[in-house]
Amino acid sequence: MESHAGGPVTVAAIQAEIDDARRRSTPVRIAGRAHWMDAGRPVAAERTITTASYSGVVDYVPGDLTITVRSGTTLGEIASITGEEGQWFPLAPYGDDAGTIGATIATGSSGPLAQRFGGIRDLVLGLEFVSGEGKIVRGGGRVVKNVAGFDLTRLMTGSWGTLGIITEATLRLYASEARPATLVVGLPHSGTHFAPRIAALLAAPIVPYAIQLIDGATAMRLKLQARTSLLIEVGGNAAAVKSQRDALAALGAEEIGPEVWTTLRLLDGEGSSVLRISTLVTRLAELWQTLQHSIEEVSGALMNASPGLGMVRCIIPASADAGTVARIAAAGGDCSVVFEKMSPQMWEALSPSVVADRVSRGIKHAFDPANILNPGILGE
Amino acid sequence: MIDATLAETLASIVGERFVLHRPADLLVYNSDGLPGYRRMPRLAVFPGTREETIAVVRALAIDGIPYVPRGAGTGLSGGALADDVVLLGLHRLKRVIAIDRENRRAVVEPGVVNLVLNRLVAPLGLLYAPDPSSEAACTIGGNVAENAGGPHCLKYGVTLNHVLAITALLPDGEVVSLGNPAGESPGYDLLGAFIGSEGCFGIALDITVRLTPKPQAVRTMLADFVSVGEAAQVTSEIIGAGIVPAALEFMDGATIRVVEASIYAAGYPADAEAVLLIELDGLASGIDADQETVQNICMSGGARAVRIARNEAERLRLWQGRKKAFGAMGRLAPHLVVQDAVIPRTKLASVLARISEIAASRRIQVCNVFHAGDGNLHPNVTYNADDPQEAERVHEAMREIMQACVDAGGSITGEHGVGLDKLAYIDLIFSPDSLAAMCRLREVFDPQRRSNPGKAIPIHSCQEWKATPAGR
Repeated sequence: MESHAGGPVTVAAIQAEIDDARRRSTPVRIAGRAHWMDAGRPVAAERTITTASYSGVVDYVPGDLTITVRSGTTLGEIASITGEEGQWFPLAPYGDDAGTIGATIATGSSGPLAQRFGGIRDLVLGLEFVSGEGKIVRGGGRVVKNVAGFDLTRLMTGSWGTLGIITEATLRLYASEARPATLVVGLPHSGTHFAPRIAALLAAPIVPYAIQLIDGATAMRLKLQARTSLLIEVGGNAAAVKSQRDALAALGAEEIGPEVWTTLRLLDGEGSSVLRISTLVTRLAELWQTLQHSIEEVSGALMNASPGLGMVRCIIPASADAGTVARIAAAGGDCSVVFEKMSPQMWEALSPSVVADRVSRGIKHAFDPANILNPGILGE
Repeated sequence: MIDATLAETLASIVGERFVLHRPADLLVYNSDGLPGYRRMPRLAVFPGTREETIAVVRALAIDGIPYVPRGAGTGLSGGALADDVVLLGLHRLKRVIAIDRENRRAVVEPGVVNLVLNRLVAPLGLLYAPDPSSEAACTIGGNVAENAGGPHCLKYGVTLNHVLAITALLPDGEVVSLGNPAGESPGYDLLGAFIGSEGCFGIALDITVRLTPKPQAVRTMLADFVSVGEAAQVTSEIIGAGIVPAALEFMDGATIRVVEASIYAAGYPADAEAVLLIELDGLASGIDADQETVQNICMSGGARAVRIARNEAERLRLWQGRKKAFGAMGRLAPHLVVQDAVIPRTKLASVLARISEIAASRRIQVCNVFHAGDGNLHPNVTYNADDPQEAERVHEAMREIMQACVDAGGSITGEHGVGLDKLAYIDLIFSPDSLAAMCRLREVFDPQRRSNPGKAIPIHSCQEWKATPAGR
């Protein structure tokens, strides 16, 4: 891991860097540990402010099931601190646990566990950030329920560092239950054939932590039989895990080790492009089939999907050109497309702006009037 | 703007019947669910369709006239009061536009009553999770404005977690789409910012909500205690044990006795000093083990007994006492104030003890009935507002209670909103810079601060504050 020595270690130091950048009108790139979460998005910045050195626990009372950490704290650190108390932060976003919580929130990252626990926006209770004007601002709080003030926490989540530098966050935790079970079941290749099969599996008496539809290529990477499959993770107390495992086994599912989930989070290789395309749950099989057809000739492409959330994730290898990525993004028709990551050249070629509307532009101007924070990262 | 002209303009949009301007007609709109505040609207208008609503807001925008959106007026923060400005009632917009069973969502207009939606989707095996105690009257639009919660939000989350998309009418008359009814939406979480904005960002013209499958099994229990402290401690232990009940509600002795003496009597033990109403739900296979854990925690924590509802009728009766507790308190005194602070769950016992000290020193009657699992307190104070000395003591006690909750690391409101009632407390938890940032956000949606003026964030927090334009 690269060294982060020298990054600001106090909020005042972060504030001073912003103030300096503002005075000189110098655009800055905001980074946590600066690994995959930067997503390759091009930023016309002259310097980088990293929060990696601003880390550690601010407050953790296990009985409250909340933890307040500085933004440079990694997901791995949070897992280990809460694990000692029999608790966990159930997010497991795509990527590894070396990412910081600040970057995770800023990028709005989530993973398959969103099926049961919601995404990052459902798990952050409050945060502190330094705005583009160098002000220290707080939204939300440290308690699990709070409607005081306008919701700056949701606004900052997924704003890609364009409105402020997140310095601290309070997270909702869960107590660990019995060891969850992971099962896999093979499916027919075609969406029209697997849809009823998935419906039958999900109609079983289960409340899954995660459900993922994977294509044959992904299954192979997870060291499973190379065919379209459904991965299901079930949790709860010991009796609930057992009954769910039995119910799924009766429908032909087979128990496998939990490591498939870690591997699944790390499938996107260097330089690859990742698209998330979403639709109504009832149209997922159709979307899957369309996308499957459109990536057929792209060697090394992978697909996984959340049937419960209506989202398909396509990993397109670095060898594919911008035209190919654009074609796949367009294949879903009017479905919503989120570009999770792409190479810098790809961003420039496709450059989808997601903040061009009047309200979004107004918000950017209100929080970063000098336009110094990650300019251009969300498109113009 | 001359009122007669305004009334005429609005009547030409919605029809004369739906514009009120005589004081006698407006009287009914001069308070909301919190009786401590009275504000007279200058005029009230009730559009019947989406198009009429847009036309009304555009007409008000032309002359820069402030307005207050209002649903059923059940709010508990004074947030829906119009102080000499236009009251824009949305209760006539009550169409359920679509219910999509397969995709588990519904699209409703803002005036749809929470319980009406739940009754419509129940036969499909679905529910809309946020369940404020006012569910029989409150509207989904009002729920969105306040980011409403309810007992079952402990497990299922609040309004924010159950709204997928909103078509919003901004104060300048522009109609914008927030969120995405069919999946993710890239860019800023404008939907998240809009929910809980207390009507200051605009009006929701339609709301797409997520529906949740009904749990396979439900178990409702009543644990009774002779000590408030023990019941508070047991609450912390249940949460700490890793069980997330669907609901975990607390009622103290004063509340129990008021409920039992009322028509809402639920069979609570009248000599108890506290009861916990605990509901577990989930898979039938796992519920016995969770029930046993909860029972053990209760009994070893000092409960005299744990009663389990044997059937749906018994379950509903246990819940009725809880949901109607506020109503039952009407027996005690003519006026009621309720707070809504949230504290860390490990601080329940110490903060409840502090509240009891404050009540004794100020000689006031406090009934505690609240969402213990969330740490969301509702100390209710019954009093006679016409007795200035008593009113003053209540006012002082409320401030002390709020301070105690904030000192414990809490928030000033968990689900009722700031409205007018908690404006005086918001400085306790947010710095001037944080409040200024919130004002900035509001001004993006409403540059003239015309929508629900003077609510949610104190005016003095907004830098560059200008006097509200014409109409006041």
